[in-house]
Amino acid sequence: MAEQHPDTSHELESSVQDSARAFSYPPTPDIASAVRNRLTRNHPSHYRRLAWVAAVALLVMAALLAVPEARAVVQEILRVGGIQIFLVEPTATITPTPVPSRTPRPTLAPEPTPVTSVLDLPGETTLDEVRNQVSFDVLLPTYPEDLGTPDRIFLQDLGGDVVTLVWLEPENPGQSRLALQILDERVVGSKLEPNDFEMVSVDNRTAYWLTGEHVLAFYESSASDFIRIINDNVLIWEVDRITYRLETDAMLEEAVRIAESLQ
Amino acid sequence: LNEADLINQARQGSDAAWEMLVQQHQEAVFRLAYLLTGDASDAEDIAQEAFIRAFRALDRFDSARPWRPWILSIAANLARNRRRSLGRYFANLHRFALAAPDDAIDPEGEVIEQRQAQALWRAVRRLELNDQEVIYLRYFLELPVEETADVLKVAPGTVKSRLHRALNRLRALLGDDFREAFDG
Repeated sequence: MAEQHPDTSHELESSVQDSARAFSYPPTPDIASAVRNRLTRNHPSHYRRLAWVAAVALLVMAALLAVPEARAVVQEILRVGGIQIFLVEPTATITPTPVPSRTPRPTLAPEPTPVTSVLDLPGETTLDEVRNQVSFDVLLPTYPEDLGTPDRIFLQDLGGDVVTLVWLEPENPGQSRLALQILDERVVGSKLEPNDFEMVSVDNRTAYWLTGEHVLAFYESSASDFIRIINDNVLIWEVDRITYRLETDAMLEEAVRIAESLQ
Repeated sequence: LNEADLINQARQGSDAAWEMLVQQHQEAVFRLAYLLTGDASDAEDIAQEAFIRAFRALDRFDSARPWRPWILSIAANLARNRRRSLGRYFANLHRFALAAPDDAIDPEGEVIEQRQAQALWRAVRRLELNDQEVIYLRYFLELPVEETADVLKVAPGTVKSRLHRALNRLRALLGDDFREAFDG
C-alpha cells in the first residue's frame, strides 16, 4: 500500500479519535450485582448443597424408578452412552415413596465431595500413560487448528476408565478452554437438572447439548460416589460404546465441529 | 485504597473490596465486549464471565501490575471465543453489515457526532479482529499505548505498528473520502 502523506494520516487518526470518543454505548448493566449473585451461587456452601441435592435426587430417582406410578414426576430420562440425563419436572411435588428395601446404589453415605473445576480432578497423568493404560483409542480434536495436544490429562477409575483431557486458555492458563471426557462402556453417570437440553447430531449420531449449571454424578464407583458441578455447555455423544463429553464455553455449532474433528 | 490494596483485600475474602474492583472496571469491560460482539446481551454475559474468571484466578494475579489490562484481556479472549461460533458470527455480520445498528441510538436525539461514530464502528467491524481490537482499545476506550500492549500481550512498539496498519486498512476501506464517510 502506498505510504500516505503524514498530514492525511494524522487527519484520519484525529477523525477516528474524535468519532470514537462520541460513540454511544448501550447503558452499562449492573455487572457487579450479577457477578455477586453468581459468586454467591458458586460459593462452596452452594456446591455442598447442590451435592447433597444430587445425592438425594439420585436416591429419589432410584425409588421412583422402582415404583411405576411415581414415574410421572420425572419429566424425561434420556440416555446417551453411559450417561443418563434426568430431567425433573421443576414444580413436581414428590410424595414420599417407600424406598424398596433393596434399593440399589446410590446411597447417601458418605456425602460425596463435589469437584467444581475440571482442573481439580484427581488422577493427573500424561497422554502416553493414559494411552498405555486404557483399552480404547484416545482420540484428539484436530479443530480448532491451534488447539494442539491437551495441557492436563486425568485418568479416573469410576467403575471403568474415565479419561479427561483439558486444554487451557492460552492467555489465562488457570482456566480451561476445552475439556474432553472419554468414558469406557463400564462407566455409568447421571446428569441432573440441566437448565436446557437439545437433541443434536455428531457425525450423524444422536447427541445431546446441555447448557447451564448442572450436576454430573458417577455412582457406580467402587470407591465412592463422585460428583462434579458443571458450569460449561456440554455435548455428549457415543461412538462404538465409548461415551464422549465435551465441555466448552463455545456455542453449539463450534462444539459439534470440534466433536466431529476427533482423530 | 489503591488498586493493589483492593486486590489484596479481595483475595482475603473482602466482598466490599471485590465489588469495588468490579464497579471500577465494569463499564470498560462491558464496552469492549459490546464493541467486539455488537450485541448488548452478549456483552453483558461476557463481562459477567470475565469477572467470574478473574475472581477465580485472583490469587495468581500479580498485584504490582495494573488490573484493567488483565480483566480486559480476559474479556477480549471470551469475546474472541464467542466469535468462533460461526452461527452467531454470521448472524452478527448479517445484522451489522448493511444497516445502521438500531439499539444504540435514540433516533430523536441523534446528533451528527453519534452518526459519525456509528459509521466509524461499522467500518471498523469490517476489519480483521486484530485491527479491530487495537482500534477499540486505543481510540474507543482510550487506553494508553502501554496498557493496550498489556491487554494484547505484545510490545508497545507492536501496538503502534498495528495501529498504523489498522488505520491504513481503514482508509483503504473508506477510500479517500473518509471525511465524507464519517459524515454519515
